[in-house]
Amino acid sequence: MLTIGLNHYLVLSAIVFSLGILCMVTKRNALGILIGVELVLNAANVNLVAFSRYQTGAADGHMFAVFVILLAAAEAAIGIAIFMNFYNTLQTIDVDRGDELRN
Amino acid sequence: MTHALLAATPLWMPSAADLQRLGPLWSLAGTIVAVLFAALLVGRNYRVAGAIATLGGVFTATLCWRGITGGAVPFAGLAPEAAAPMLVVDQFSCFFIFLISVFLVLVTGMWFMGLDAGVPDEAARRRDAVEFFVLFVGSAFGMALMVSTSNLLMIILAVESASLPSYGLAGFRKKHRPAAEASLKYILFGAVTSAISVYGASLLYGQFHTLDLMKISTAIGSQGISVLTGVGLFAFLIGVAFKVSAVPFHFWCPDVFEGASIEITTWLSVASKAAGLGLMLRIMWLLSCTVQSADAMRWVAHAVAIMAAITCTVGNFSAFRQTNLKRLLAFSSIAHAGYMLMAVSIIWQPRESAAGMPHPASSAVIAYMIVYLLMNLAAFGVVAMVYWSTGRETMDAFNGLGWRNPLLGVVMATCLFSLVGLPPLGGFITKYYLLIALYDASLIWLIFVAVFNTLLSLYYYARIAYAMYFVQSDEAPVRAPAMGQFAVLMCAAAIVLSGTFYAGKLKSFSDQRSRDMYGAMQPTGLRVAERPTADSMH
Repeated sequence: MLTIGLNHYLVLSAIVFSLGILCMVTKRNALGILIGVELVLNAANVNLVAFSRYQTGAADGHMFAVFVILLAAAEAAIGIAIFMNFYNTLQTIDVDRGDELRN
Repeated sequence: MTHALLAATPLWMPSAADLQRLGPLWSLAGTIVAVLFAALLVGRNYRVAGAIATLGGVFTATLCWRGITGGAVPFAGLAPEAAAPMLVVDQFSCFFIFLISVFLVLVTGMWFMGLDAGVPDEAARRRDAVEFFVLFVGSAFGMALMVSTSNLLMIILAVESASLPSYGLAGFRKKHRPAAEASLKYILFGAVTSAISVYGASLLYGQFHTLDLMKISTAIGSQGISVLTGVGLFAFLIGVAFKVSAVPFHFWCPDVFEGASIEITTWLSVASKAAGLGLMLRIMWLLSCTVQSADAMRWVAHAVAIMAAITCTVGNFSAFRQTNLKRLLAFSSIAHAGYMLMAVSIIWQPRESAAGMPHPASSAVIAYMIVYLLMNLAAFGVVAMVYWSTGRETMDAFNGLGWRNPLLGVVMATCLFSLVGLPPLGGFITKYYLLIALYDASLIWLIFVAVFNTLLSLYYYARIAYAMYFVQSDEAPVRAPAMGQFAVLMCAAAIVLSGTFYAGKLKSFSDQRSRDMYGAMQPTGLRVAERPTADSMH
């Protein structure tokens, strides 16, 4: 019988992290990039809670994870407001279309 | 499990004395609330909002000044465990919060001047002033938090609470294409770097089982830096490097500086960088606070030195081709961040020989930061006044400025030559302190990089000066508000004085702050055994 241990969580987190980075790099849609960011943040959350549960036994990892969720929510709120503003001026949220400011 | 956790953690309340020591932070947070409530009570009045922000800034600056000069406010850790503080308000953070809140007041003044000078979107500015000042003071609060913490979680929250309002500020002009684009790029860059930074923090937590930098440092001292620690540390530092706009995390900087309105550009160019460098100094200093960990941190410090050298060079080379003044000054600010990062990279070097002596790296950064604030305020002030008068921010608006408005021409020339670092000006003397610090740390190659970069930067700064005096222009004289002209003149005078009569005073002031810092940044007895304390001097 396989017991789930710390390493399983760390591998899961590493996979989610890689997917998040992949998502950030490949997506050209601003929302797609934001989803990649959320994936990376959740990978960090899995790490934090797993470390907290299996290693330290203290509450600070859990607490950190709660704050990261809050941070992700705040970032999404202001991010989507900015995307709306961008959409209102350019009728798209494709980041490659933002090419007015360049060298 | 959860019940056991809750039972094991005793209920903890901070004492009133501890809360009182966080005065500067309370004052900034209170200002945000006051701006919001004033809008509720007296309606959306831009004068009231601006006045409250100004008062809040002045009050915070006064509190911090008392903290700086009053001497012993060594440490206030807002946490159940005294050895692992969440918030730290010491001389070091007092100095940086002082700088930030003074700058807050000055930029607010600039905003009001812009209203009277007739900026294009004047009506919208008056209408949205309340939101503007809430975001503005909010970002100042985040920056104040950045320089007053030594805990991984608090660092990430502080960086975010400085960044989130800044994203909004960058895109504050609605229906304005460059602003929309600038804020989009800003938030995407910021979100990506902060996510990676959080992941790095989670790796560090897993490695060391604590969020406190002091404890991590002790652990690094005994275990050395493994590959995983290195990865975690670098991932974590990416979030800070983004705030400092160190290469390769600088791409947002020129776009945001060009797209945002000029007050915001001025604000971000100084305050955001000051907070980032303060945080970087504290992280590097705390992580190398024992002799063993300083030894282990040597490689991280070398990486920072290399990053500083690249930041400088890339900033200066990219500034060559720019025609938009805001964009040019953005690259110049990247280059200056590089110079200051050079000092950060030598903070790990222990100074056992001289007990109570200030660390040359931190006093170089403080002196540099003071003069950098003056130079940038005056340079952006002149760009703003030319923009208000001509409606352009490009190089050709500066043609013949020396004849169209002699005062602005002289001020701008002073700033430009001080930014290069030419002798009788403040920019020279601070760069000199920096190079001396690097020489003491025997980083000769970094001195060569800095001098080479100074020569590079001479070209593009001199290009503006050339346009101001040697390019003919038949445009109308530049009319500028009297208050604004007076303010930039005072800045220019301060730049000249700090390079000549008051150079010694600047040195002793920054040494004093640095000495205080050196003492104050030893939170617990951890370092006392390995290193002489500054207290033995007092």
